[in-house]
Amino acid sequence: MSALIDLGGAFGELLTPTMLFHAAWATLLGILIGSLPGLTATMGVALMTTLTYSFDSATAILILICTYVGAIYGGSRSAILLNIPGTPASAATSLDGYPLAKAGRVGYAMGLATAGSALGTLVGILMLVMIAPPLAEAALNFGSFEFFWLAVFGIVISGQLTAGTSPLKGYIAGILGLMVAMIGSEGIHAHVRFAFEIPDLYGGIALIPAMVGAFGFSEILTAMWNKRGELAARKDKSDRTIPRVIEVWRFKFTIARSGVIGTLVGIIPGVGEDIGAWASYAAARRSSRKPEEFGRGSHEGLIAAETGNSAVVPGSLIPAITLAVPGSASSAVLIAALFIHGIRPGPLIMIEQPHFVSLISGMLIIATLFMAFYGLTLTRLFVQVLRVPYAYLMPVVFVLCVIGTYALSQRIFDIWVMVGFGVIGFLLRQMKYPMAPLVLGIILGDLLDKSLRRGLTLSDGDLTPFFTRPVSAAFVLLIALSILLNFALVRRILTFPFRRLIRQRDV
Amino acid sequence: MRMADADRVTALILFTLGLAMLAGGWTMDRLEIRRIHPASIPGLVPMILGGCLALCAALLWRSASRAKASSESEPFLGGGSWSRLVTTAGICLVYALILVGWLPFFWATALFVTAFALIFSWPSEPDLRPRIRAALGAAGLGVAIAFGTSVLFQEMFLVRLP
Repeated sequence: MSALIDLGGAFGELLTPTMLFHAAWATLLGILIGSLPGLTATMGVALMTTLTYSFDSATAILILICTYVGAIYGGSRSAILLNIPGTPASAATSLDGYPLAKAGRVGYAMGLATAGSALGTLVGILMLVMIAPPLAEAALNFGSFEFFWLAVFGIVISGQLTAGTSPLKGYIAGILGLMVAMIGSEGIHAHVRFAFEIPDLYGGIALIPAMVGAFGFSEILTAMWNKRGELAARKDKSDRTIPRVIEVWRFKFTIARSGVIGTLVGIIPGVGEDIGAWASYAAARRSSRKPEEFGRGSHEGLIAAETGNSAVVPGSLIPAITLAVPGSASSAVLIAALFIHGIRPGPLIMIEQPHFVSLISGMLIIATLFMAFYGLTLTRLFVQVLRVPYAYLMPVVFVLCVIGTYALSQRIFDIWVMVGFGVIGFLLRQMKYPMAPLVLGIILGDLLDKSLRRGLTLSDGDLTPFFTRPVSAAFVLLIALSILLNFALVRRILTFPFRRLIRQRDV
Repeated sequence: MRMADADRVTALILFTLGLAMLAGGWTMDRLEIRRIHPASIPGLVPMILGGCLALCAALLWRSASRAKASSESEPFLGGGSWSRLVTTAGICLVYALILVGWLPFFWATALFVTAFALIFSWPSEPDLRPRIRAALGAAGLGVAIAFGTSVLFQEMFLVRLP
């Protein structure tokens, strides 16, 4: 009941003409960013962070949330029309969206994707309201020992799940991110590390220039390197773009399951929307009555993928708000933006700003409503936007990358950092290193460093509490399992009882 | 170059970086003069990270060598356009590292956007009319973006532009 009252209060703050105006343009901009292959949600949120320095905190966060929600949804436009996911989150969408579009049902596919995205976000918001407050309360009992393992868990699980071919590359990306975080003045004794007497490095590598480089400049290089796709269908033979309620109702279990899966994936540190979409898609396929239609224009597959990736957005905000550990790369930027605007995410958030979760939920609901409105009414506009040539689009994006990073501290050095991370990010991507663990490492490096050394100081150098406290022990177990499961022998041993059960059942 | 070769080169670089980090952490000031707890020395985490990176690099070398032996490796930096990549990287680096700070922001941006748009939208056919249209379009975009970003950041966000 109190959650509903808080939500009502949040809407009172958000439903003003100015806030609605900002929500309207930011969601539309987010959809446009997401729909353009080469511009990702993280890049959009990072660039918008640099454009909202001068806004008050509530307006700035509303703009960023709307951009984030819009961009994750917007990726489905090019996935359906071009078979090129606008963002990695929409890769699963293209499997069934593109065949539908090729069959001349562009409008219907977009309508179905819109319904899935909107409902997925709503499921995620519901779970955000239910999970965030008790999680923040539980996190109040976390000490240095638990926070150390939480940071390690974030890096390991993010490296494990986001690396396409080898988890080793995910771990390496995470360690590199942690190493970047070691540069500059450390948080306990203010000793300057690895600055090589360069004054600009004394404060460390700022997150925003690093992220704008890794997700902005490197995306520009990747987009110019790759070839563009062709529009799936010039003519739309769909009878309608707004799906009938009965059609959506048919997929109620798929939507509920994908929403829950997406949110849970969002809660896992640094994993992100693409994994949410793939996990939901795989689960929907396994439980579908028509699995053979998946990949050939299945309505259920399309709705599962879109519900899954959109539910990750509120899900990723759960650890971001309550533990200051991002659930996705975009929410990592959001954490940085929250700090810039004087809001301290972490276990104390429910004490310092008890209505913050409701405020964020209200923002997500407004963003979802605008997203659904645009998605169902502006189909033609999105088709036109996809025709904007890279020759005109990419220089504009790069100018924003440069001036956006400069504006943060008005230092030319930040532009160099952005360029450096862009080039390194491009090369690492080409070698199949995921970017999410790298970013997560930069964010969690300080927490990991301080928690380990504080914990060791508290225990007088004794490592035992790191393994014997209940939450620490649980984290150690999860981390060990995550790493050991990479070995075929361990997998065989762990799955042996289940395989035996399956054999007995089959007999 | 195959991916396995690229991985082996990367493994060497990462191994060196890991050892350097380990050495850097080991030789880092332990702040005995401040009488800090020995377990909270600033070099502790860098040492651990350096060791972990060196270990991961060694494992990467091993897996890359196996992939190379089984000739399963895919090409590294294949399937894209080298000319577009090199041109994009070159023009962006010149803008970010040289023009910004050397020229006033407005002129640097106008020049960069115009050049970028012109290079990548230059018509291949020899007719004069489409070429003039492309040049005018690129110049118009360059001036508009330079003006728009300058006004937005300087007048609205009160940023002192380089």
